[in-house]
Amino acid sequence: MYTKLIKSFAALCLMMVMAACGENTDVVESGTYRGTVKEVEASKTEIYVSTADGKTLELYFTEQTRLTRNGQAVEFSELEEGQNVEVEVEKKGKRLDPVSVSILD
Amino acid sequence: MDQIPEFWRTEIYHPLSVHFPIALLLMALLFKALFYNRRNLVWAKSGTILLGIGVLGAWIAVYSGSLADGIVSRKICDPTLLKDHENLAYVTAWCFSLALAMDLLAYPRSLITFRRPLKILTLAVLITGSVALVLTGHSGASVVYQQGGGVYTPSEDCSEFE
Repeated sequence: MYTKLIKSFAALCLMMVMAACGENTDVVESGTYRGTVKEVEASKTEIYVSTADGKTLELYFTEQTRLTRNGQAVEFSELEEGQNVEVEVEKKGKRLDPVSVSILD
Repeated sequence: MDQIPEFWRTEIYHPLSVHFPIALLLMALLFKALFYNRRNLVWAKSGTILLGIGVLGAWIAVYSGSLADGIVSRKICDPTLLKDHENLAYVTAWCFSLALAMDLLAYPRSLITFRRPLKILTLAVLITGSVALVLTGHSGASVVYQQGGGVYTPSEDCSEFE
């Protein structure tokens, strides 16, 4: 019984630590960056992009954001985790507005 | 002329739902700390009920916050603060959920041997959760009062209210 209690406690602690290590994002200067789509949040039309230098960009699509593949405009649903992308971002304060996102795969 | 926005916007549900769990969870800590060594079951159960409703409210607040995030993050100037707020909110909700689980484990007679260590652990997690709760509240307040997150800014001449 005691072992079960300890195991349950350890499992719950692990969950708490995982939650505490929530996603951290970075702010970069305006420009064009290449990276990999780390996460897609379709309900928020939001993506996380990991750049080659280890930064994570959190990008909320705006009405002006252009999403393309091979030069053609595509729907947000075309985005998937693991895809290589090139993003052009505009820094406003500490907010990164995606101007364009090109799917390279 | 600007128009006053609808009151029942998606981002409104978060401030509407967030204040109840703050009060309930801090009161739960108070009950559990004050009546830690008392044998009166009424106080112990009251603390557990506060904690239970508070935890439910905390997860509702996390959900409503997630809905608001998609709207507010596009408007404020420092969404990284909102990300900190979100991460802290998860820590808070998990801490109090863990405290609730441990608190409930202390009730069955079969676990009477572990009651004292469980109570100490519960109190420790409740204090940790309360610190996280205060930090979550502070970061949330910064998003609203420093960046106007989710807030409508009236026009300079207030013409939309005429």
